[in-house]
Formats: sequence, structure tokens, C-alpha cells
Amino acid sequence: MAHAVPVVSDIAVSDLLADPYPIYKRLREMAPAVYVDSARLALVTRFDDIMAIERDSETFASSNPGSLVNKVMGHTMMRKDGEAHAMERRAVEISFRPGTIKNHWAAQFEATSDRLIADIESQGAADLFDTLAAPMASLALIELLGLKDVSWQTLACWSQALMDGAGNYSGDPEISARATEAAAGVDAAIDAVIAWHRENPNPAVLSSMVNAENPMNIEQIRANIKVIIGGGLNEPRDSILSLTLGLLSNPAQRAEVMANPDLGPLAFEEAIRWISPIGMYPRRVTRDVELSGVELRAGDQIGLCVGAANRDDRRFDNPDSFDLFRPKQPHLAFGAGPHFCAGAWVARQMVGRIVVPMLFSRLKNLRLRPDAPARIHGWVFRGPVSLPVAWDI
Amino acid sequence: MPTITFITAEGKQHAVTAEIGRSVMEIALEKSIPGVVAECNGSAACATCHCYFDPAFTEAIGPVGEHESDMLDFTAAPRRPESRLSCQVRVVDTLDGMTVRIPAMQ
Ligand code: FES
Repeated sequence: MAHAVPVVSDIAVSDLLADPYPIYKRLREMAPAVYVDSARLALVTRFDDIMAIERDSETFASSNPGSLVNKVMGHTMMRKDGEAHAMERRAVEISFRPGTIKNHWAAQFEATSDRLIADIESQGAADLFDTLAAPMASLALIELLGLKDVSWQTLACWSQALMDGAGNYSGDPEISARATEAAAGVDAAIDAVIAWHRENPNPAVLSSMVNAENPMNIEQIRANIKVIIGGGLNEPRDSILSLTLGLLSNPAQRAEVMANPDLGPLAFEEAIRWISPIGMYPRRVTRDVELSGVELRAGDQIGLCVGAANRDDRRFDNPDSFDLFRPKQPHLAFGAGPHFCAGAWVARQMVGRIVVPMLFSRLKNLRLRPDAPARIHGWVFRGPVSLPVAWDI
Repeated sequence: MPTITFITAEGKQHAVTAEIGRSVMEIALEKSIPGVVAECNGSAACATCHCYFDPAFTEAIGPVGEHESDMLDFTAAPRRPESRLSCQVRVVDTLDGMTVRIPAMQ
């Protein structure tokens, strides 16, 4: 017999933000879905359940009439299903193809990474969050989108403001105002280049959108560019830092990766399993359904905790440790199903093949600083917020 | 309905009847054939549904799409001339008797 979703009321959001993993473990052991009062969602934390949910987008929809994302960004493909989603996705896909990345974007990412590392090379110490990871992710995104005359700091601000707006469940007017302002900034930046992209087809996302077989209209372009800005900056940023932290904390693995750069991509996959940059994303239940023995009801909002699934000990041995040599098997850091991360191949190339290998080869004897430990924060989005390191000069 | 035989990396054979119009990836998942991961559930975005298709059926299967071909360059197991993304191959009558080999890695 199926059971109702259990409810827990003793989890504070601040605990989730500080370290969600012990909580995830408890929820995973309790039931397939657990309603967490403070998150106002039924959280799904087991690997197999999330995989099954993502294979059934009719029962577990991404579209959500009341979604804050829609309010802040417009109607984006992230909150559409079926053909409506597929058509918009096809319109941007060409920019993110592995071949396009290899032949076009890789050289640009390399140049950017080289410049950022050169800027700090002589300093001997830095916090890699704001000297490398944040500018790298932001500059790469500016190029990918095809924006011009936008600084990396501006794009990073827009990204943060849009994400805060999308997560503004309490309706804080200041957060709403900043999100609205960021949205207007993005629209103006698009207007400034859109005609150029129409006339000069190129691999950038804006060009793909206007020159696709089914071109997007301006509303679709505005909404989808915003969702890419909101969702495409912190993941590469955070994974650069998590991978660096994983390798710096595990000298034997680091030595192997330095000896054999082809291990870079493997190490990258392990880093995003270990600390998944997107830890949770929502789905809406469209009909009464049983999930591994618990009853979900039409209209329920559920949160798929891929950060928890990626540490599910039914699936991974010693899930809390960073081990790039663990048996290769799929993880859920890119999600699964039709919304599987469109930027997966960009991130693999940029982080696993270019930025992190370059960092380790250029900065000699790169090391953590015992006097200034790394700080990791977040649950919906999680990653190092500070990674102080030192090296020999 | 045509019969398709999946051969796993360990050499185990699974002969299944496949519903016309579905993708070969969907058939593999439905019949719980091990080794087809299909992280993106058929969006041609993950390259974890890679299989080696019987060369005798190349024509019946149809040509490799541009996007699919691009993805096939990034499969975990080596790409071979008979490589396809199984989510991009639709079951049709003329695939009766085809074998599909599943690579050791996705
Ligand atoms: S299922 Fe992802 S490429 Fe086929």
C-alpha cells in the first residue's frame, strides 16, 4: 500500500545552505519523497527515483503557471515541455554542439583563461573565486551568447539578480526591483546586437536563435537569453572551483591528472558529482501517481535533489569522497531527460580540458592555504564561495 | 513487429520484439537491456545511448544526422562506421533481424 509523503518541520533553510548532505542522507533513508516545511517542497533524494521522474515529463512537468522564473524572465524553455520546449532547444543547440565547441569556442576559452592566469601569475596567492572562476565563466558566457560591450562584472550582476528574483518566494520588493532592472539591462544588450547577428550568422547563441530553421521571436529570445544568463554562469564558475578543490585536497589524484591530461574530463565529472553546482530543481506533478511507494498528488510541487542523488550510497561507494577513479557510471549533475543541460559539452571542454589543467600547469606548487580554508555554501545552487590558494613564484 | 537482437558488451544476447515508430533507445530501456544509459532521454544531447548497428541494415536505418554525427565524435567508447545514437534510430519493419551491439562504456 502506498503511503502519504512524510512531513518534516525541523530543518532550517540555514542548515541546508551550510551543509545539505547530512540532511539529504536523512531524507534519503526516510522516504522516496519528504515534504520539508521550510523549503515548501517535497524533496526527492534517491538516484533511481529522479531518473524515473525525468523519463516521464507528462506526469512530472517543467511547466508551471505560477513559476517565479516566468515572472522574472518571461516564458523560457526551461519551463516548457514537449514540442514547445524541443523547438526552442533546437534553435540554440548548434551553438552548444561538441564540434562547434572544439572548432570554435575552445580557442577563445583558452585565450581568456590564459589572460586571467597571466594576471595573477606573479602574485603568489589569490582567491580563485573572483580572480579566475567568476571572470572566466562570465567572459565565456558573453562570447557564447554573442553580447558586445558588456563587462564580466555586469553580466555576473545580472545573473545573480535574475536568480535571486527567480528564488524570491517571500516577495521581497528590493530583490524584485533588482531583478527587473537586470532584465531591462539584458533586453537592451540584446537589442544592441540582434540586427548584427541576423546579418552575420556565426556560432553565437543569439545568431543561432535568429537564424534557426524555426527562428525565435523577440519574446522567446529575451526570455531564453535570460535563463541562460541566470543559469549558465554559476555552474562553470562553481565547477572550476570544486574541481580545483578536489584535486588540491587529493594529492595522489592530482599527480595522476597532471601526468595524464586526458584524465581532466573524468576528474571534471567526478567534481560535479561530488559538489553538484545545481543541487535541486523543481517539477510539478500533473496527476495522482505513486513514486516508489509514496503517493504524490496532482498539483504537488516536488524538488529533485540531484545533489543528494549524486551522493546516494545505493549507487556510489563512499559517496562523500572525491575519487576520480571510482567506477564510471552516470551522475545527475546535468539533470536527465529532455532538459539535460544544453551546456554540458561547453562545461566539459572549458573546465575539464582548458581552465583547470592550465591552472595546475602554470601555477607551480599550487596549494590550499591552511590559514584561509575554502568556504562552500548553498543547496539549490552549491559551490565554493571562496577558494584561497598559494603557489611558488 | 520486427525482432531486434541486442548484444551486450559481455556478449549476452537479448532478442526482443520492437514496436514500430519507437526509437531503438526506448526499446532498450523498456526491455531493461543493460548498457544503454540515455541520460537525455532521446534529445541527442548526451551521447550515452551509443550503439553499434548491424552494417547490413545501414540503408534501412537511414543516414546519420549532422548533429548526431557531431555527438558521435564524443562517445565514451570509440566511434566506428556502424556507430549511431540509438535514440535517433526509429524502428521500422525493415529492421527485422537486425543486431545492435552495446559498447562497454557510455
Ligand atoms: S539519449 Fe541522449 S543522445 Fe540519445
